[in-house]
Amino acid sequence: MSDIDIKRISYLAKLKLPHEKEEFYANSLKDIIKWVDNLKKIDTSEIEPLHNVTEKTVSIRTDEINKSNSVDDVLSNAPERAQNFFKVPKVVE
Amino acid sequence: MKSSISHIKDSLRDKKISVEELYDEFLIKAKSSKTNSFNLLLDKENNILSIKESQKRYENGNPLPLDGIPLGIKDLFCTKGIRTTASSKILSNFTPNYESFVTQKLLDDGSIFIGKNNCDEFAMGSSNETSFFGPVKNPWKNKNVPTDDLVPGGSSGGSAAAVAEGTCVASMGTDTGGSIRQPASLCGIVGLKPTFGSCSRWGIVAFASSLDQAGPLTNSVEDAALILNSINKHDFNDTTSSNHVREDYSNGINDKLDQKIKIGIPSDYLKDVSGDILSQIENAKKALIKHNVEFEDVEFKTTEYALSTYYILAPAEASSNLARYDGIRFGVREDGKSLDDIYLNSRTKGFGNEVTRRILIGAYVLSAGYYDAYYRKAQKVRRLIKDDFQRIFNDVDFILTPTTPNEAFKIGNKLDPISMYKNDIYTVPTSLAGLPGISIPSGLSTNGLPLGIQFIGNYFEEKKLLQIAALAEKELNFNEQ
Repeated sequence: MSDIDIKRISYLAKLKLPHEKEEFYANSLKDIIKWVDNLKKIDTSEIEPLHNVTEKTVSIRTDEINKSNSVDDVLSNAPERAQNFFKVPKVVE
Repeated sequence: MKSSISHIKDSLRDKKISVEELYDEFLIKAKSSKTNSFNLLLDKENNILSIKESQKRYENGNPLPLDGIPLGIKDLFCTKGIRTTASSKILSNFTPNYESFVTQKLLDDGSIFIGKNNCDEFAMGSSNETSFFGPVKNPWKNKNVPTDDLVPGGSSGGSAAAVAEGTCVASMGTDTGGSIRQPASLCGIVGLKPTFGSCSRWGIVAFASSLDQAGPLTNSVEDAALILNSINKHDFNDTTSSNHVREDYSNGINDKLDQKIKIGIPSDYLKDVSGDILSQIENAKKALIKHNVEFEDVEFKTTEYALSTYYILAPAEASSNLARYDGIRFGVREDGKSLDDIYLNSRTKGFGNEVTRRILIGAYVLSAGYYDAYYRKAQKVRRLIKDDFQRIFNDVDFILTPTTPNEAFKIGNKLDPISMYKNDIYTVPTSLAGLPGISIPSGLSTNGLPLGIQFIGNYFEEKKLLQIAALAEKELNFNEQ
């Protein structure tokens, strides 16, 4: 196991860990990754990954329009809105 | 007051109590409870229409299957017009505009929601201590240390505590790695996790989509069957919803077993367990052996890998599912100068420690350079675990295990994550395989705390599973102990 670059991982997860907590999470992650490393003992070279245990029960519905949510419904929980849009700080100059 | 659904329905039918009086009785008790098992309680005014309609159906002699029954709902199910928080700060202001599939089915069958049950934040935890709204207290006390407040288990800890103390007749929970069965066991009630794909995940706040499954926490196996009848339906809105033919799960639940039943007991599960736990299995064996049931020792080859597999896959799926909480479309927004600052601040301040930890694990095992070594590897081992169960089910009808390795512990006692994760050692393998499992209370520990046993069935064999659980329940007679 290589060292954990906690800054990189938290950036990937869009989290800004407070400086004093970086070590706490880095150590915690290290412990957990070490703990799950026992999987390396098993030979899985011939095994297919399992994505979904019910992979054999697929059903297809007819393509019908179903109006369940209005624009107002969708926007009703928005922290900030302007007319029919979610409002965010300016992203382009 | 701990009555079964059918008993309460009889009282409503015989006019011994009205739907309104029943609701009042539970609400008053729930309001005065000190267990913190509800994030939100619904005053009678919120439900007055449903209460009146339900009463009318009783008076007309055509009540629905769950008519008038006050239910608790884990605060992970989206409920239309009712705040739904997943016990997280980031969703603490969220009111859905739609009803989850499962809760809609419960409403269609006449039940009335009394409130939203506390749970671990985003269902991540085994003790209900990660909730933004504070821990839930188990209504049970250690008779040797009665001053200690104990955990109810988790993540459906509020559901389990509420059912155990009688502040709702039953509660809907969700189970990803044991979150229905483990708290049911620690609170002395019944908890059923159906086969993955049985009950639609639509409208349930997602944790790990290949594992999450809704199920009931109840006072009896029969109640679990009655609720399963309502919620076990195919749904096109959940692509993993199975389209198999459903049965009537309560009809004939107490019928005598007409054929010989073989139950496997995994010897590898019982290696290091305490005498208390071992005696639960021994008692169950003794109780069932007179009923045309034979027992056989079985041994899994993959048990030692189950928790590792789970703690790669579940956080990976969680980190992906929880990417939607960005402070833009719903949930709590924390200010920032740029869009990126809003994302970072909202997420960092909105998630608690355990959720942050799991998002980080997930991001790590999915990141470039580690994806194959961890995530893909765990998916392969998951197949081996599923195959391991299938090998054993070639020979036996059910598998019997303890539900948990220990009784309820003191709030604040287990601080390091790995020892907390080990609480789910007996429930996680079943979840990875997608199989149905039910925990029923089997006896008391030497400290006077409830312990549970778990029956695991083969895919979609809930009917048989509930029958054997009902038989064991009757023989073990926990509620009369």
